[in-house]
Amino acid sequence: MKVLLSWIREFVDVPESAEDIGTLMSVRGLALEGLEPHGDDIVMDFDVTANRPDCLSVIGIAREIATAYNRPLNVPEGRDFSPAGSDHAIAITIEAPELCGRYAGAVADVKVGPSPEWMQSRLTACGIRPISNIVDITNYVLLELGQPMHAFDLHQLGGRAIVVRRAKPGESIKTLDGKLRTLTPDMLVIADASRAQAIGGVMGGAHSEVTTGTKRIVFEAAYFKPSSVRATSKALGLKTDASTRFERGMDVTAPARAMARACQLLEQIGAGQAAGTIHDVYPAPQSAAPIVLERTRVPGLLGMDVPDANVERILRSLGFDVQSASAEASTSAEASADRSAGHAGWNITAPAWRVDIKRQVDLIEEVGRHHGFEHLPSTFPGVQQAPASSDPRIARDRRVRTALLGMGYSEAITFAFIEAAAAEPFLGGDAPVALANPLSEKFAVMRPSLLPGLIDAVSHNRRHGRRDVQLFEIGTRFSPRGETRGAGFAWTGLATADHWSGARREIDFFDVKGVVEQLAAVSLVSLTFGEADVPYLVKGRAATMTVNGQHIGVFGLLDSAVGDRRDLPSGDEVYVAEFNLDALIAAAPADTLRATSLPRYPWVVRDVSILVDDALSAEAVRGTIRSAAPSTLIEVREFDRYQGKGVPDGKVSLSFRLTFQSPERTLNDEEVQVGMQHIIDALTRDLQAIQR
Amino acid sequence: MTAIDTSIGPDRARELFRAELADVRTDAELQALRTRWVGRKGSWVAAFMEALATATPEQKKTFGRGANELKKEVEATIAEREAALAAARRPAHAVDITLPGRTPALGHRHPLSLIRDEVGAIFTRLGYQVLEGPEIEDDYHNFEALNMPEEHPARDMQDTLYLATPTFASADASVGRPRGKAPWPPQPLTLLRTHTSAMQIRHMEQNAPPVRLVAIGPVYRKDNLDLTHTPMFHQVEGLVVGKGVTLADLKGTLAAMAEALFGAGTGVRFRPSFFPYTEPSAEVDIQCIKCKGAGCAMCKRTGWIEILGSGMVHPAVFEAVGYDPNEITGFAFGMGVERVALLKWGVEDIRLFYENDLRFLEQFGL
Repeated sequence: MKVLLSWIREFVDVPESAEDIGTLMSVRGLALEGLEPHGDDIVMDFDVTANRPDCLSVIGIAREIATAYNRPLNVPEGRDFSPAGSDHAIAITIEAPELCGRYAGAVADVKVGPSPEWMQSRLTACGIRPISNIVDITNYVLLELGQPMHAFDLHQLGGRAIVVRRAKPGESIKTLDGKLRTLTPDMLVIADASRAQAIGGVMGGAHSEVTTGTKRIVFEAAYFKPSSVRATSKALGLKTDASTRFERGMDVTAPARAMARACQLLEQIGAGQAAGTIHDVYPAPQSAAPIVLERTRVPGLLGMDVPDANVERILRSLGFDVQSASAEASTSAEASADRSAGHAGWNITAPAWRVDIKRQVDLIEEVGRHHGFEHLPSTFPGVQQAPASSDPRIARDRRVRTALLGMGYSEAITFAFIEAAAAEPFLGGDAPVALANPLSEKFAVMRPSLLPGLIDAVSHNRRHGRRDVQLFEIGTRFSPRGETRGAGFAWTGLATADHWSGARREIDFFDVKGVVEQLAAVSLVSLTFGEADVPYLVKGRAATMTVNGQHIGVFGLLDSAVGDRRDLPSGDEVYVAEFNLDALIAAAPADTLRATSLPRYPWVVRDVSILVDDALSAEAVRGTIRSAAPSTLIEVREFDRYQGKGVPDGKVSLSFRLTFQSPERTLNDEEVQVGMQHIIDALTRDLQAIQR
Repeated sequence: MTAIDTSIGPDRARELFRAELADVRTDAELQALRTRWVGRKGSWVAAFMEALATATPEQKKTFGRGANELKKEVEATIAEREAALAAARRPAHAVDITLPGRTPALGHRHPLSLIRDEVGAIFTRLGYQVLEGPEIEDDYHNFEALNMPEEHPARDMQDTLYLATPTFASADASVGRPRGKAPWPPQPLTLLRTHTSAMQIRHMEQNAPPVRLVAIGPVYRKDNLDLTHTPMFHQVEGLVVGKGVTLADLKGTLAAMAEALFGAGTGVRFRPSFFPYTEPSAEVDIQCIKCKGAGCAMCKRTGWIEILGSGMVHPAVFEAVGYDPNEITGFAFGMGVERVALLKWGVEDIRLFYENDLRFLEQFGL
């Protein structure tokens, strides 16, 4: 809200500089947004919060300043103007009192022309374009008192009548901005006997616009229902100075004051003369009920003491009616305890312009902010019980995060909404969780997976000259069934950092498999792998991960077509993996970990090399070994896999290192040899293996 | 190299030796020097000894002592230098320790994740529980329960992103019927939460007071990407409810947080403001971390930088969750994680947090 310092000073005696006023008001609830010179005057731009429509006016801001500086608010002389003269009757009917609580009108004979320079200058300074003396008066009153006004050309009002009613179905009106607007019956119009002449609280109509030829006008000052104006303004996409104020709630007592001021200005600037009394239709006068302010509640909520005199001064200065309440009037236990002090608090009645004041806490805020938050001491809330534990997901995520960081992955955070096309390969048959009003096509659907965001991040880094990229993200994925937390990572480039000693190697499937196995290990689960067939991974280089039959995630080589669509440099091999952390935690054993003692007897190691069909999986060979082995076999590890010279086509040479150990005794050579023979027999029999 | 000439006398010869020794750099040079000066034959010392044999008794007295001293000095100095050279010699197994090492792979934390953890740690230390909540919400928990009924003008303050198709996977379904005024069965989920305050409501609906929590996580608003705005950002929400909780308690708590985050002596300032879910409400500034309050471009010469919104929980919010506002009070605050990161590390463009450029991420530690 832009106001001129000189205008404020008409209402309150503040010789202080604009800067000083701004600094003080910023800690009293009216933040100063900017200062701008305007001739030898200064425009002060205050940020008025949505709950204070009364401060969208010079007088409202002046009242706050007067309270902050503890000075009286003066209303200049001559404002209690009451027009006289021959009565030009105008019939005002409110047919929709639920949408219009009050409607005041006054007829005036006018001579339309430009308004005086001082008035134009003030309007311009406050951001309103001068139009003509009549329109300028309405805007001047709007700025000064906050009450929106309108002026109709009386000769364009059919039947010399004003009817405040709901719009008829399909009714249309050409508004002052020249646009034809179609209305609905939930919108309020100001009509004459036959047609809508204005949209109530939003904008006037072009038909009855005041022009240079206008001789007689009707001023309007009314109270419209905030939610109705808001809905109408929103539906029509039409926001005006009037609608902004009405939708926040106006002072129901203001129309009469505003009308008097407009009529007075009309005479003052020689633009015309009111013709008759003010017609004020106010079907159901409202009066505010007093609110009890309990004395103990002030320090009880604020944590600072405010002297009674200050409580009363602040509230009175802001226009509240303050009456001391007897102790008996109060009901709360705290107030009763205070009865001995003989003073329980106050009965406070808010002025009509303070539409934001509804409860005791609202009053305490008024007292607190004008007493000054700078007087608040710094204290701490007491503890009555042991703090409850945090969300277990935080510790779980931290464990996974720490492991990934330790394995060289940097942490990414990507937007949770992505392009529909980027999400498509990851939907897995679900419908996308799309946004109704996305910011743009780039943010159209909620991610079904963390991988699209990671792929984009890899692509960004690759396009900015980075060869090796390791990134992970822990975050939420969305499906029509709800939200799940996941961890994903992406890896491209070298498996080992470039070094002068040589030995560089590009990553492959097994680098990534090692990482997922480590993540399972830190989560205390062991994974079972199966071949994955998903649209974004290369078949044959992709695996599913399960724990006890529960699907946990997938990993593998990213399909190059998916990468191409995300501008990944062609030829890049990117490996990706994604875990469902919620499923992982559910699959992990409950916290029943028991440590086992270290073995007391030595172990025995035996190697075996065999030739088998190369289509046979390592898993199958391992399985055969395990099922044939004695219970003393504790580990089976592949240590060599060879195809080439000396190995027939279609065969592969596999070497296993087997470790035997008993927790009860030292094993002897003979029993290990027997065990080995069982294993070799089983391999030969079941897998047609040939021992090398 | 001066030819051997005993006539110059031992004293002059000693000076000559010292000069020659000064030029010796290697072992080989040192051995040559030794041969030339103390070798059994043809060395300076040998020559002096020979000359001594033919000297007069008078000459022997002075000349002899000089020659012996020369011999001693040469032998001692050469041995000393020999030891020094040996000590400086690189052993055969030595490596060039200035070559670069093999760096084990180690990732870097995302700055927002660092702030999230730091704030979580500060409040854990103060006895708060740290919670996370659903990101897709219903209208009731995001707005209505927070004293923002339909048509409330304050809804304009937070441009909301809505789902094209509501979902019904409400978190309530698993935890049971909430206390207070929440609709039951739960409303469909229609929007992306605009603030973590929605989490406050869900927690209070399921737990009786006292409450002491921070909720951390992403929130969403229909804001265009620019230097200071992203449509998704992260919030830290704090809530304390109990008997006798005051605005002064909020000030003490936030002052402690500001000092922990931005350094000892960082002052805080409360400015009255408006939020529908708190009354009184305050915007909180910290003393400008760049100019320490003197006034600079960063703080627009005010000496203060806004970091969060806060206030005393509105009684209507307590009523919505079935708490009795006559019995308890509470404070709440909400702070942008990105904003803290921007200020703390002097990041000039908020979009850097979402590009995940490794050149940016690698500036942050673990």
